[in-house]
Amino acid sequence: MNNKIVKLALVLFLICAVTAGILGVVNALTYDRIYQMKHQKEFEAYAAVLESSSGYTETDFDKAAFPTVDSVQKSNDGNGYVVVSTFSGAQGSITMACGVGTDLKCTGISIIEHSETSGLGAVAASSSEAGVAFREQFVGQDGGIALSKAGGSIDALAGATITSTAVTNATATSIACVAALG
Amino acid sequence: MNRKQQFKEGLITNNPVLVQQIGMCATMAITTTLFNGVGMGLSVLIILTCCNVVVAALRKIIPDEIRLAIFVVVIAGFVTIVDLLLQAFIPALSAALGVFIPLIVVNCIIIGRAEAFCQKNSVKDSFFDGIFQGLGYTCVLVIMCVFRELVGSGRFGGGLIDIANGFRFTLDGTGGGIQIFPSEYGMSIMNLPFGGFLTLGLLIGLMQYALKRSEKNRKEAERAAAEAAALKEVDD
Repeated sequence: MNNKIVKLALVLFLICAVTAGILGVVNALTYDRIYQMKHQKEFEAYAAVLESSSGYTETDFDKAAFPTVDSVQKSNDGNGYVVVSTFSGAQGSITMACGVGTDLKCTGISIIEHSETSGLGAVAASSSEAGVAFREQFVGQDGGIALSKAGGSIDALAGATITSTAVTNATATSIACVAALG
Repeated sequence: MNRKQQFKEGLITNNPVLVQQIGMCATMAITTTLFNGVGMGLSVLIILTCCNVVVAALRKIIPDEIRLAIFVVVIAGFVTIVDLLLQAFIPALSAALGVFIPLIVVNCIIIGRAEAFCQKNSVKDSFFDGIFQGLGYTCVLVIMCVFRELVGSGRFGGGLIDIANGFRFTLDGTGGGIQIFPSEYGMSIMNLPFGGFLTLGLLIGLMQYALKRSEKNRKEAERAAAEAAALKEVDD
C-alpha cells in the first residue's frame, strides 16, 4: 500500500517537474518581449494623452487621499502631468492614463488595460470611430466632468453606462489628484 | 481507426459544442468578433492536439488513481505556453480574449477528450482526434461570430479584415471589418451574453434537427433496401 502511494507521488512529481521545466524555458524566451511590449504600451499611452518632447519623471502624490491612482508622471516640458490609475469597470479593473494640463484641464485619456465586454465597454478603449469619439469628449474637461445624464457633457457609450461612468469618475479623480499636488 | 469517420465525428456527428455540449462558457463569451472566434478556436485546437498527444503517449504510465490530476497539469502547462506566446507575439488577441485563454485549463473539451479518447487510443489517433475536434470547435465559434457580429453590429470580419486601404487580413486585430449595414441598426443585444445563448440555442436546435433527419433517412433507406431484397427473393 505504502509503495503504491510513493509511486503515485513520484509519477505526479515527475510530470509536474517536467512541465515546470518546460514552462521555465518558455517564460525565459518570452519574458523580455512581453515586458518591453508592456513598457512601450505605457509610454505610448503617456505620449497619447500629453505630448512631451523630453520625457516624463515620476512624481510623489498623496496615495492615502487617492487610492486608485497608481503613479503620477510629470512632463519634463512642464506642460502638465500624466496620471495612471486603476479602478473597477463593469467586468474587471481598468488601467487608464489621463493627461492633465497645467490649467487643470484634461488633455486626453488612454486606456492601457481592461477586461470590458467586447463590443460594449471595450469600445471605450478601441481604435474604432466610436471609441475615438468617446475619448475625444474628455479633452478640455475640468474637475467638474460628468456624464450628460448627471448634468455634465460626456455622452456615455451605448450599452456601457458602467464603463463610461467609471472612466469619467477616474478622470475627475486624476484632475483632483493633480490639483492636490499644488 | 478510420480518419474519415473521425473527421465526421469531430465536425458533425460528435461535435464538441453542438452534440457533446461541452466548453460552452467560453463559446458564448468570446464569439463577438470574427477575430476573437478564429483566435480562440485555433488556440483551443493547438492546445487540444498537444494535450491529446502527450496524454496518449503517457497513457501507459499514468496511474488510474491520479489521471485527472496529471491531465490538469499537462493541460495547464500547454495553456500557459500558448498564453505566454500570444502575449509576446499576438498581444491584440491576448488582450481581446483576456481571461478566456487561461480559462482553457478548465475547458471541458480538453479534459473531456483526454478522459474519453486519449487514454484508450494511440498517439496517432489522438493527434487526429485533437485536430478534428478542434476544427469542429473552431467552426462553431466562427459560425456564431459571423452571425452575432452581423446581426449585432452589421459587420463582417471585425478585427481580422481591413478594407480601409484595399482588402487585407490584419493579424494584429486592428481591422475594422466590412460594414454591411450601419451599426446603429444592429441589435446590440446580440453582442451581450443573451445573444450568445440565443445563437447557441438555435445552432444546437438546427444540428439536432439535421442529425435526426439524416438518421431517419438512413433508416428509411435501409428499410427500402431490405424490402427490395425481400421482393427479389420472392421473385427468385
